[in-house]
Amino acid sequence: MMLPERGAPIIVQGITGHYGSLHAGLMLQYGTNVAAGVTPGKAGERIMGVRVYDKVADAVAKTGATSSIIFVPAPSFYAAAEEALRAGIKLVVAITEHVPIRDELKLVELAKTMGATVIGPNTPGLIIPSRLLKLGIVPATSFRPGNVALFSRSGTLMYEIANLLSTNGFGQAVALGIGGDPINGSTLTDCFDWVRNREEVKAVVAVGEIGGDAEERLAKYIIDTKFAKPVFAYVAGRAAPKEKKMGHAGAIIYGNLGTAESKIAALQGAGVKVAMTPAGIPELLASSLKK
Amino acid sequence: MRLFEYQGKDLFRKYGIPIPESVVVRTDAELDSALQKVGLPAVVKAQVLAGGRGKAGGVAVVKSRDEARKAASRIRQLRIGGERPSSLLVERATPIREEMYLSITLDRGTRSFVIIGARVGGVDVESMQGKIMEPVPVDGLKEWAAKSVAFRMNLWGQDEAQFVRILMDLERLCREEECELAEINPLAISGDGTMVALDSKIVIDDNALFRHHEFSQLPPEDPLEGEASKDGFSFVRLDGDLAVVGNGAGLVLSTLDLVADAGGVPACFLDLGGGSQQERVEAALRLVKKLPNTKRVLVNIFGGITRTTDVAAGLKKVVGEGGMQPIYARISGAEEAQARSLLAGTPVKLYPTAAEAVKAAVSKA
Repeated sequence: MMLPERGAPIIVQGITGHYGSLHAGLMLQYGTNVAAGVTPGKAGERIMGVRVYDKVADAVAKTGATSSIIFVPAPSFYAAAEEALRAGIKLVVAITEHVPIRDELKLVELAKTMGATVIGPNTPGLIIPSRLLKLGIVPATSFRPGNVALFSRSGTLMYEIANLLSTNGFGQAVALGIGGDPINGSTLTDCFDWVRNREEVKAVVAVGEIGGDAEERLAKYIIDTKFAKPVFAYVAGRAAPKEKKMGHAGAIIYGNLGTAESKIAALQGAGVKVAMTPAGIPELLASSLKK
Repeated sequence: MRLFEYQGKDLFRKYGIPIPESVVVRTDAELDSALQKVGLPAVVKAQVLAGGRGKAGGVAVVKSRDEARKAASRIRQLRIGGERPSSLLVERATPIREEMYLSITLDRGTRSFVIIGARVGGVDVESMQGKIMEPVPVDGLKEWAAKSVAFRMNLWGQDEAQFVRILMDLERLCREEECELAEINPLAISGDGTMVALDSKIVIDDNALFRHHEFSQLPPEDPLEGEASKDGFSFVRLDGDLAVVGNGAGLVLSTLDLVADAGGVPACFLDLGGGSQQERVEAALRLVKKLPNTKRVLVNIFGGITRTTDVAAGLKKVVGEGGMQPIYARISGAEEAQARSLLAGTPVKLYPTAAEAVKAAVSKA
């Protein structure tokens, strides 16, 4: 996984749409270098001073950007992401919701062959407060610079927990949503790999939910690679029914696969401190990090 | 989107996967002509989406027209997983030599579709012993890989040839129709050695429906769920009396846990979605108003992209229309002070934390 440095130029695909232009503005306001926008047929327009191009390749040629954030609707998502990767983009942040599973699988495969990172789809994106970097729709007001890395399958839960951490004196080195779909371009494990050798990260918080086995895989990774930083987790959906998609396409229990109980047990087995409520996370951090 | 058995078998027919002759029936007159077509003995099967149909008595083997009528009227009265059969499938009975299992499903961990096969059928896949697994490349299954599955399942000669054909067809179906799951359980070898799909379980990727209009014409499993998705929010009906509404799937899931921990039982899961406008909040509350058995409503909002003032204005409007169940709300985040003042003087009860709102809503039970 590769994340941009402070001031790195960023391309916004779908910048002329309602959502794209709103968030391009909020990203600029935060201090992120939104260097170009892309919307086919809108070349030459300016959105909040940002020049719009027809093609990603044109925007890359003008700005040297290697990161792109995508807001285009699901039916045109795969084409937009493929265009970005083929134009030399090395980090795609895919905000788009409702992307078909087969498009996600194709994208994961293509990114692998191109040596690129995909975050999402259906992600709120990421924020690195110390780099003034906000690639996504996360509300800046919840986040403060600090030493906690926060990785989440859910957007609003990430905002809520970040807010609780911030008000309790735990700022964030990075906060990143991996996305609520069954297929994630970058997994919780990829995120942990990114922070494992970073001095500035003193603790890691993982926010999971029902469905799939991302948390179980994370637990195995923590044990197998002897992950040394303290890890805290919250898993939503203990009371969820089976065989029902709970808002996120990926939040579904099939039989005994993907239950909160299994995830909590796996994480605890790996030495992770698991909170039973979002508010429990800063309490756990406070009691374990003070010692 | 989950398909009924008969809809799945329509797809099997389209892709050349052998199935016994069958007819969907809704009335007794249709039943008689169906029996004439498929012959006796026949199997009468409830068409429901819920699992556990066999155990619930939703399948009957019948040897005469009389037995068929009796079985049909009995099965029509059943409730299977809370669901009444919408129709019955009348199918020619197949003499069975062996039952097997075959499916293609998404394996999220390896980020690949995977074939699961076993020489046992009719049982739960999780408890299945000795199952064979084989990943499917995103651009389709190669015949040698299908043959390797047959080999590992110890199928030879005529059995192998039929199995490879069925597996190739099932994979093409799964890929072209964009299924999350395409399952044949059981896949039977009949008395005369022909391989035939006795049941179907097909789940289509909801997010791919824009490329498959034939499925989006089908009625939703729950009319209220259909209404919700049209208005842009997600809704799941549950069996309690406290409606749970919030913004963001994870936040609402977590609120359900808080409610359960406090001893309450949620009536629904309702995620307004990110950046909800006032109209969407109103539509969501009007839907909750229609929900039978719902005595109270818990609203949990953390404003980020969602403006808490939009939520408050929506709440105020719908409460003002009358007939709304009592609302217990926690609204925090961006513009929360304005949101609170918008709701001052309305019957909406506000609490500073989710835990306190939950406690108040549950203790009124």
